[in-house]
Amino acid sequence: MTLLKFANSLKLRTKFGIPISVLLVASIVVITSYLIDRQADGYRRELETSGETMIAILANNAESGVIFESTYELDEILQLLSQFEVVEYACITNKEDIILSEIGQALQGYEQTKPLYHDASDDEGHHNFFIRNEYGQEFIELSNPIVTRIQNLGRENLGITGGLDNSFKQSYVTEEIGRIKLVLNLETVNQSIAESRRTAILIAVVVLLITIIMLTFFVRFITKPVKMLVDITDQVSRGDLTQKVELDQNDEIGHLARTFNRMIESLKHSRDEIEEYNRNLEQKIVERTLELEEIQAQLVQSEKLSAIGQLAAGVAHELNNPLGGILGYAQFALEKLNKSQTAEETARDKGKYIRYLTDIEVQARRCKTIVQNLLRFSRSSKTTDFSDVDINQVIGDTITFVEHQLHMNQIQLKMELHKNLPTIQGDTGQLQQVLTNLILNAMHASPPDTEIQVISRFSPALGEFGGTVEILIIDQGSGISQENVKKIFEPFFTTKQVGKGTGLGLSVSYGIVKDHGGEIKVESKPGEGSTFIVILPVQKPQPASDNVSNELQTKN
Amino acid sequence: MVKVLVIDNSEVIRNLLTEYLTDLGYVVENAINGLDGIEKALSGDYDVVICDIHMPKRNGYQVFSEVSGQKPNLPFIMTDSLPDTLAERAVNEGAYACLSKPFNLDQVKKTIDQLLAKARTK
Ligand SMILES: Nc1ncnc2c1ncn2[C@@H]1O[C@H](COP(=O)(O)OP(=O)(O)OP(=O)(O)O)[C@@H](O)[C@H]1O
Ligand SMILES: [Mg+2]
Repeated sequence: MTLLKFANSLKLRTKFGIPISVLLVASIVVITSYLIDRQADGYRRELETSGETMIAILANNAESGVIFESTYELDEILQLLSQFEVVEYACITNKEDIILSEIGQALQGYEQTKPLYHDASDDEGHHNFFIRNEYGQEFIELSNPIVTRIQNLGRENLGITGGLDNSFKQSYVTEEIGRIKLVLNLETVNQSIAESRRTAILIAVVVLLITIIMLTFFVRFITKPVKMLVDITDQVSRGDLTQKVELDQNDEIGHLARTFNRMIESLKHSRDEIEEYNRNLEQKIVERTLELEEIQAQLVQSEKLSAIGQLAAGVAHELNNPLGGILGYAQFALEKLNKSQTAEETARDKGKYIRYLTDIEVQARRCKTIVQNLLRFSRSSKTTDFSDVDINQVIGDTITFVEHQLHMNQIQLKMELHKNLPTIQGDTGQLQQVLTNLILNAMHASPPDTEIQVISRFSPALGEFGGTVEILIIDQGSGISQENVKKIFEPFFTTKQVGKGTGLGLSVSYGIVKDHGGEIKVESKPGEGSTFIVILPVQKPQPASDNVSNELQTKN
Repeated sequence: MVKVLVIDNSEVIRNLLTEYLTDLGYVVENAINGLDGIEKALSGDYDVVICDIHMPKRNGYQVFSEVSGQKPNLPFIMTDSLPDTLAERAVNEGAYACLSKPFNLDQVKKTIDQLLAKARTK
């Protein structure tokens, strides 16, 4: 399992190279060692055979030399052998094992081991041995009997006992008169075998090297395009579709490369299509957005216009009544004064004149208030420089202004201010205006001996704001009817008596709070009271829009 | 005795007209909103109705059309504080005139005089 994994992790080149090299080397080793063994075998056999022949001839020739113990003759015979390099040692012994003649150096301290190719001994007294001396040198020892033929008769004469019955049957007796021993050195053979082995190894190494070189070359032939394919696939997978496999081959890999190129091509094609489509889509979205923005701008503009129109209408309506009064009373008084001839008449009407003038004054004041509120209203839509505002401070300041009025109306004030209120970005004056209006509204709605609560609190996170500061103004007054709740933020909407309210307070407040990125919420139950909640973000989000539109946030 | 009904939600205007017209010798009655005006105009016996356009509970046009539906001969003088299609419609449908606030008092007088003279010639 792990071996398989390891094999899989190998590079293609190694995967090819290792088994092929191993196979090659193994086959070279097996084949050459087999051949060399065969060759060595042949050499030895040959050597042994020729040794046997040689020793047989020598044994024949040595007969007389041994009989007569003629060292000279035997030396001459053995001398023939000295010209052969393979002959290590040779000797001829007589019957008593006394060496009559020898050449070379006799081996010392060796052991005779297994016979070589022929049986160690046969009937005729041939002996073959394989010898390894203490230095590891190898030899073949051959020994042959030296025989002579003696007449049976002669033998009896020499006093050799034998049965009479046999005397006619055997005319000759062969008698061993000595031995000839020949030791052949296998070293030369072994050396030539070793030589062959070395050559074989050399050849194997050379072949291996050639194989490796050729393999690398050929494998590179395969792996190079494969690697190229892999590289390009890599790049393609990372989204680079401009790549192309440059391969001019007609084999399977070339085919693969061409197919791959086609694949990239079609991939690129479809991606381009998608991109084109996306671009179109984006273009369309941009166009649509522009269109929508234009429409929205128009809407805003018309809304603005209608708001301004509404405002103008409201202003006209509000102003024209008191102005009508002023104008009318002034004209009336003038007319009366012009008509009256005597001082008595004038004196009689003095009370009327005073009433007219008082009315004129009241109405003129009303006009003044309307204009002032209007100015505030227009100012509130301008962006002002905001700074850090402590809402608790604003509440405290506002209370000092209205405290007296609350007291006069027998209304209790309860405050619950959050202790660690974060500052917000805002305009102190404007926020004070908002609070004043909300508290006065609450006061106007509240009967005597009720309570107004002013609460400040902090909500760590609400919607997209990073936390908000909230001001609650809770009264136990008249409450607002469902119908009116929708209108209270409209400019000039008021339920108050003429002279008491202009109906601009809440719309101005709403504009201011919007400028601060916040909103005003209302909860009210007719007969039970109202709660106005001013929500101001701690971080002012976007720069205030110059919208005059009145998005109403009401809740019942 | 000429009886005038003043329908206006503005107290100032009501007071002014009442005072002025009374001084001229008319009998003046008031209505403080549209609904009140319709009731009074239908039940009372008036020679002229002076009616504001912008009022809570029925605007001036509604008052005019509802009343003149039952009393086609009762003349209406409309008043408005800004140019308004409602006033225009009322005039087109038979209201005698429309006075824009702030109006001159002698204008009011002149209009009523003309109206009464016209009524008399009929
Ligand atoms: N706390 C409240 N309880 C009951 N009604 C309220 C309360 N606050 C506001 N309103 C209603 O909403 C109307 C509009 O209020 P807004 O402050 O806009 O104008 P105003 O108070 O009438 O006049 P101004 O504030 O200009 O003097 C009020 O006339 C009143 O009917
Ligand atoms: Mg107010």
